[in-house]
Amino acid sequence: MYISDALCFKENSMKNILYNGEAIKRLKIVIACWVLLITPAFAQNLKVAVAANLQSVIKVLGQDFKQKTGITIEPIVGSSGNLTNQIRNGAPFDLFLSADMNFPETLFKEGFSAKKPVVYAQGSLIICSNQDVGFENWERLLMTDRVKKIAIANPAIAPYGKAAEETLKEKGILDDIKSKVVYGESISQVNTYITTGVVDVGFTTQALVKDPANKTTLYWKIIDPKTYAPIEQGMVLLKHAAGNAGAEKFYQYILSAAAKTILKEYGYYVQ
Amino acid sequence: MDLTPIWLTLKLAAITTFLLLAIGLPIAWWLSKSRSFFKIIIEAVITMPLVLPPSVLGFYLLLAFSPQHGIGKWLHKAFDIQFVFSFQGLVLASVIYSMPFMIGPIKSALQQLPVSLSQASYSLGKTKWQTFIKVLIPNIKPSLLTALVLTFAHTLGEFGVVLMIGGNIPNVTRVASIAVYDSVEQMDYTSANGYSLILFAVTFVMVIAVFIFNKYQLKSPLE
Repeated sequence: MYISDALCFKENSMKNILYNGEAIKRLKIVIACWVLLITPAFAQNLKVAVAANLQSVIKVLGQDFKQKTGITIEPIVGSSGNLTNQIRNGAPFDLFLSADMNFPETLFKEGFSAKKPVVYAQGSLIICSNQDVGFENWERLLMTDRVKKIAIANPAIAPYGKAAEETLKEKGILDDIKSKVVYGESISQVNTYITTGVVDVGFTTQALVKDPANKTTLYWKIIDPKTYAPIEQGMVLLKHAAGNAGAEKFYQYILSAAAKTILKEYGYYVQ
Repeated sequence: MDLTPIWLTLKLAAITTFLLLAIGLPIAWWLSKSRSFFKIIIEAVITMPLVLPPSVLGFYLLLAFSPQHGIGKWLHKAFDIQFVFSFQGLVLASVIYSMPFMIGPIKSALQQLPVSLSQASYSLGKTKWQTFIKVLIPNIKPSLLTALVLTFAHTLGEFGVVLMIGGNIPNVTRVASIAVYDSVEQMDYTSANGYSLILFAVTFVMVIAVFIFNKYQLKSPLE
């Protein structure tokens, strides 16, 4: 917004230069342009890259944070892998809330963050369907003909997908059901597959069923957290936020009791 | 680097091109003859995938293919066919998605042929079908080739629709464009580069071939 304003201004100023061509005026305009171009760095608007599983909870967190500080959050939602790539290639994000610890660690090691990543929440894996298929014995259910397609997020890039695969391995049924598995590009795509019913069941985050925006009736069961490695979700303050006091504030806020209460409501485990 | 996505893509493109040739020729012929309001509607529908975002098509196909309601349910119940997350599904989506690239060039080429050509053929006692196969088609060879190549290349380039209805299943729906996206997400730039270079080379050679062939035919390409 600011940049486009500045560009508009610059365009007008170009005309001025062409028509009047006075040196001092030109200098003033150039300075004004620079000030306008630099302003966004000081503006109280935060760009936060957010893992797909936080899609709904980030809105609530953002509203709460705005009420407390008056600072607006601009969430950019995507899969953690995709966002990490964007950050590595110069995306202007101030903070990154990942779905795991690996991606934030990578960014830290590569020098995109001055601070070590911290865990802000632990994800909770569920098995979910838009039909009442009965999850009492879901391991056996997955093996039956009743279930034709099972959605999990791509285990190579999505932590919830990795956790789902670990659980299936732990239960010893991964190889038997492999032919039924379809891979979502991120956890949000798995959610789409579940709510539209193109798959019979899917493994997703508890945040989906706790989301008030979800209008589909869903049937679900929490997967025993002992069957998969904890989904530790990490956060990093990025170098882009340097000199931005609001970014530091939001970082502290996410670790605060207020944010933890909200995260808990959405099914995350918090310490 | 796993080469199966490349083979899968080539297979998908080849099958799609073949099916579209079979479907597209008669439709293009029908459309090239006299106009009516009904034909305009049909032509608009066929042309729409050209401008419609692939995500729109993907979204509706996802809903249509869902085994829980509508057409998807009927197909599933009656024939045990499931289009979503299957290779057949991708073929069907590609046929819809690439249709304008097959029909467009053929139709315009047929329209530009002088009417006297088919009239001469009729007066010599040939049927409509014989005229079409033996007289009209040989006269639109360059456009036919353009249509074939564009359809093939466009199917290679399909991404958005596959991303939405494919499910990224190795050997089944994980085509090259998806493999590139996937490799980039995994920060495996070597594989991403491998797939991309192959796609780049294949499409470049194909487009160059059309240009050379059409020049030889003394007709400018994409005409």
